[in-house]
Amino acid sequence: MPILRRLAFSILRSVITLIFITAVLYASLMITPPETRASLYMPKKTSPRMTDEMYQKLLQQMVEKYKLNAPFPVQYFSWAGHLLRANWGYSPNLQEDVFTGLMRRAPATLELTFYAILVYFPLGLLSGVLSGSKKKSVFDRLFRATAFVATSLTPMILAIIMMVVFYITLRWFAPGRLGTAFEPMIGAEQFRAYTGFFTIDGLLNGNPQLSLDALRHLAMPALTLAFAQWAILGRITRATIIEENQKEYIIAGRALGLRERTLAWRYALGNSAAPVLTHTMLTAASLMTNIFVVEIIFNYPGLSTVGVKSLAFIPDAPSAMGFAIYSTILVLVITTMLDLLKAVVDPRLRESF
Amino acid sequence: MGITRRFFSHWQNWLGLFIVMAFIFTALLAPLLSPLDADTKDEAVLSFLKVPKPPAPGAPLGTLPDQTSVYAALIWGTRDALKFGIGVTTIIFLVGTLIGTLAAFLGGMSNSLLMWTTDMFLAFPVIAGVVFFNQLNNSMLFKIVSNSEFAGFPLDYLAKYGYLKDFLPLLSPFMKLNPAAVTFALFLWVPYARVMNASVMRLRHVEYVLAAKISGVKGFRVISRHLIPNAIAPVLVMAAKDVGALVVLQTTFAFIGLGKSTPWADALLSGRDWIYSPNGIVTYWWVFLPITVALILFGIGWNLLGDGLIEAMNPRSGEN
Repeated sequence: MPILRRLAFSILRSVITLIFITAVLYASLMITPPETRASLYMPKKTSPRMTDEMYQKLLQQMVEKYKLNAPFPVQYFSWAGHLLRANWGYSPNLQEDVFTGLMRRAPATLELTFYAILVYFPLGLLSGVLSGSKKKSVFDRLFRATAFVATSLTPMILAIIMMVVFYITLRWFAPGRLGTAFEPMIGAEQFRAYTGFFTIDGLLNGNPQLSLDALRHLAMPALTLAFAQWAILGRITRATIIEENQKEYIIAGRALGLRERTLAWRYALGNSAAPVLTHTMLTAASLMTNIFVVEIIFNYPGLSTVGVKSLAFIPDAPSAMGFAIYSTILVLVITTMLDLLKAVVDPRLRESF
Repeated sequence: MGITRRFFSHWQNWLGLFIVMAFIFTALLAPLLSPLDADTKDEAVLSFLKVPKPPAPGAPLGTLPDQTSVYAALIWGTRDALKFGIGVTTIIFLVGTLIGTLAAFLGGMSNSLLMWTTDMFLAFPVIAGVVFFNQLNNSMLFKIVSNSEFAGFPLDYLAKYGYLKDFLPLLSPFMKLNPAAVTFALFLWVPYARVMNASVMRLRHVEYVLAAKISGVKGFRVISRHLIPNAIAPVLVMAAKDVGALVVLQTTFAFIGLGKSTPWADALLSGRDWIYSPNGIVTYWWVFLPITVALILFGIGWNLLGDGLIEAMNPRSGEN
């Protein structure tokens, strides 16, 4: 039960944060004239024959209809109501409804994130514990040097190197999400998207070749992302383990004759879990930024497409707003999940709440 | 104190300091080092075939496909990088430190409330902010360059009634702002506020602060003389590392087309298609190697400096 209460509290906090951030975003739009905000409510199809004059008239009608000259709270809450009804506006650059567009692209981003986490989380913890519990060993020195390099090489430079080595020279991996030969299979009628993850859907549809191809395209962005995040996680874990190792219970354990391995993995890591997870929670937004950067560099058609395309040609407030709000929601979901995980892993938190 | 002695007892710190100083001097001496600026095209070699030219007397590090000198981009880009890094870091350092200290000093409910609001900023990804502010900029620019049918700033209305010339000066500084700088300044002060808040909260009950309070020192003086100087070390270290990190992040954003471009990002972007050639990766090495190395060194230099400062200011962490 305490865990449920913690979950409820965490969700409540996320909702308040979301209200705060959307309010700030809308307040920034208040600097611009009401016509920009009217574009948030534009109907899906405006006739291509519409003249400039007719368009301006339509804008004025929108301003009247949605009271876009009213004070901020009135406008904000009416707009938030539209958000809740999944009415996020129509994007002229994407040529589709922003919310549908975001939902359609979300599985791609989630798949990339999933595989990156699958790679970096265990490796980060492993190398953090190994180098933290044997300070100044060869492994520790090696880890620190590699992690330093990994944090200094930005995803951008790493991506260039990856492309040259694995795509152009070796031809192992490729950018994008699927090869051209496999694109039609996704669109085919008998293909059913169970999860939205191509690697899993391929197997479920009895098409392992598709899964393999999806994996081939995922490899570069996932590894780039994992390398950068691995270094961050490993460094934090290492620092926390070193701090834990100086505490009395570890010294007592050592005096009692427990093996170093047990001390490190069972006791030190168990108690480091909460600080490490807290740090991961605090940097969830920068993880999100890194995901999007990697997506854009490798031309991976995830959520970042919405953000990039919103800057393409026509001023497009709905998709820029939608991108910001959707990614904030994702960050809040990650944070809530980590918060829950923290309570599950750490008995002190489980009972105190 | 021994801070300086501890700082200079590690070769890494010497290296970090050397790299940072090298960049600063390059930026200061840019007009001497490279008379051409980054945008000047080498007209003599301008041709239909846009092929990067190898190093030659006019361009010591060769040219990019558009015939601008890599060397000039490298040298002048240092200026942009330092200006951006130090400028933005100063802003977020000041804002974050002030808010963190203020919240801690108010204490109680106000502290919780202020820090809670601060934490809310953490849920917002920077990249979304850059896209958003870019969007605001774009819709204003768009309205000026074309009389479009799409929503933006209603400049044609202003023009119709003769107000345009009054409004343009008001508008142009906003459009000159770099969306990346605006976003970083708006969101990245949060870690400073958190760290500063934690250290001031810890120091509030340390004996010498209590002693100062009891002996009748006024609130502001307690903050400025006793709390800030003693709590500043961790945030100072963060600032040193952020100068490098922010420039690297900004260049990354510019590389993928978000925010204002810089000479370094421009050079990387235009040289991107020439990294690989049929004769091997090294054929056109000058289109990417110098700038990439400079960017990596820029990050590493400030990072080493920050790490060195941690060790020097907090002897207990020196062993880590």
